[in-house]
Amino acid sequence: MSQKEQEIKFIKGNVAAAYAARSAKVQVISAYPITPQTTVVEKLSDFVDSGDMPAQYIKVESEHSVMAALVGASIAGTRTFSATAGQGLLYMSEMVHWAAGARLPIVMTIASRGIAPPWNIWADFTDVISQRDAGWLISFASSHQEIYDSVLMAYKICENEEVLLPMFVAYGGFVLSHTSKPVIIEPDDKLEKFLPPLPDEKGWPHIFIDPERPMMHGNLIMPSGFYYEFRMKIHDEMMKSTHIIKQTALEFEKIFGRSYGNGLIQEYKIDDAEVALINIGGLALQAEQAVDELRQEGYKVGSVRLRHFRPFPTEEIINIAKKVDVIGVVDRDTAFGSPTGGAVSSECKSALHGTGIDAIILPIITGIGGREVSVEQQKEEFKKLIKLKETGEFPQDMIHGTLWDGILEVK
Amino acid sequence: MIEKKIIEIAFHGRGGQTAITASQLLAEMAYESGFKDAISIPIIGAERRGAPIQAFSKISRDAQIRSYSSVTDPDFMLIFDTTLLKIPRVFATIKEGVILIINSNHKIDFNNNLQKNVKIYMVDATGISLKYGLAIEGFPILNIPMLGAFAKISGFYGLDIMEKVIKKKFGSRAEKNMKTAKDAFETVKEMI
Repeated sequence: MSQKEQEIKFIKGNVAAAYAARSAKVQVISAYPITPQTTVVEKLSDFVDSGDMPAQYIKVESEHSVMAALVGASIAGTRTFSATAGQGLLYMSEMVHWAAGARLPIVMTIASRGIAPPWNIWADFTDVISQRDAGWLISFASSHQEIYDSVLMAYKICENEEVLLPMFVAYGGFVLSHTSKPVIIEPDDKLEKFLPPLPDEKGWPHIFIDPERPMMHGNLIMPSGFYYEFRMKIHDEMMKSTHIIKQTALEFEKIFGRSYGNGLIQEYKIDDAEVALINIGGLALQAEQAVDELRQEGYKVGSVRLRHFRPFPTEEIINIAKKVDVIGVVDRDTAFGSPTGGAVSSECKSALHGTGIDAIILPIITGIGGREVSVEQQKEEFKKLIKLKETGEFPQDMIHGTLWDGILEVK
Repeated sequence: MIEKKIIEIAFHGRGGQTAITASQLLAEMAYESGFKDAISIPIIGAERRGAPIQAFSKISRDAQIRSYSSVTDPDFMLIFDTTLLKIPRVFATIKEGVILIINSNHKIDFNNNLQKNVKIYMVDATGISLKYGLAIEGFPILNIPMLGAFAKISGFYGLDIMEKVIKKKFGSRAEKNMKTAKDAFETVKEMI
């Protein structure tokens, strides 16, 4: 159904994701419920059932089948969407890799939750980080509006012929999925200006199901064949997609008036900052509140929203490290046995290697399994960075070189 | 009435009493009545009917709300069930200056255990809900009468805004809901 006027709706983050799929004129949805994502596909089922959204809605028996169905629908040349979380994403993993390998521009939102055991349904990005090497673009949304906006941008990025890869738009379970805020739902005329046209009967340029143009895909390829070269191309085009992401964020801002930095990262009061925190998801927005409160007390602090983890914004991280001497990199995820224990901080450190920049990175892990992180706690993180800058002293209670902030004492 | 930039409201109910929906509706009503930003934050665990439930709303006249964390120092507390006042973590948040709206048809004796400047209002939300037949499987629905009482005490939104939001959410059931809102708006009183 058409959306003639811009509307502001007071909705949950999950519902914002569903509205985004509707606004993006998604043609095929396949769905399997899992907390805390379920209300995304429930809302989409309402839209389709009421005739509000002319899409095929496929109910399947598992998450593995969710992605299998989307792979088929996308190969047939349609715009596709689903949502999942936690165990569901892990169960889907085989087909997640398939979607990227087949170069399909599928978009899926992840209401991230902790991985079991023990069972956990609350915000923790370890689920989406676990798919780090699948070949999907990975973005994080820090607000309800950003969920809606990121899904729109995702289709424009993924369907670009220079990219043709799938994308996750991740946000914290319950932190954003079940809280409600005002969200702008954009009208059709503006959406048409921004979004690429839906694929026509010919489908995507590289892969299709068409009796007139028979093609074999997903077949066995010998080691002497092009498997190796296909892998290189995925990496090559993922790296080059940084330009498409930047260009898309610019166009988005021009049409809708909302800025997301350069698309890869969004800086907040960084230019004169002495220390900074880099966050993903909702904590990145909340950190900006901490910045404002500390600046009122006279502290020169700044904050960065890491919007994309894949492709990784290496150049942007280097630029921040040129401006700010001491940087805390906050992971709401775990990467067991990695240099820092967190995926984002490990990569930030690696980005600086060999650049000659001597900025100090303090890896921080926090909010695991939905453990609440308050503005006060984030202010304390900033103060630890200030102490580090002034005295060169790292916090006392680090674990393997990382500050596990907010952890309870364990024996 | 309150000069703070962001006004925080805590909801304490039991599973099935619709406290979480109340937090969403309150935030939306404040937003509709001209507050610049609002958020509803439900605390969700393994839900079951009768278990203690918490939810929060934060509303702001001019600042953007950027914090997602729960409320530890509320300006208002809406108590859907008086037995929840016996839970230490609920009682502990009744701090100086807080305004309580309690679903009760009788005075509650706090034995002088309250902090200074705590204002307490009571409204018989259960009685009102049953009077107008607003119940699901015999369980009275308390969110709308509690929000009607809050409208009167806070002055943050009027019955007109309530009607607008309730119509949008509940369609044909709006009329019955509005009757409970008006009744609560008129009958909420200070607990002396």
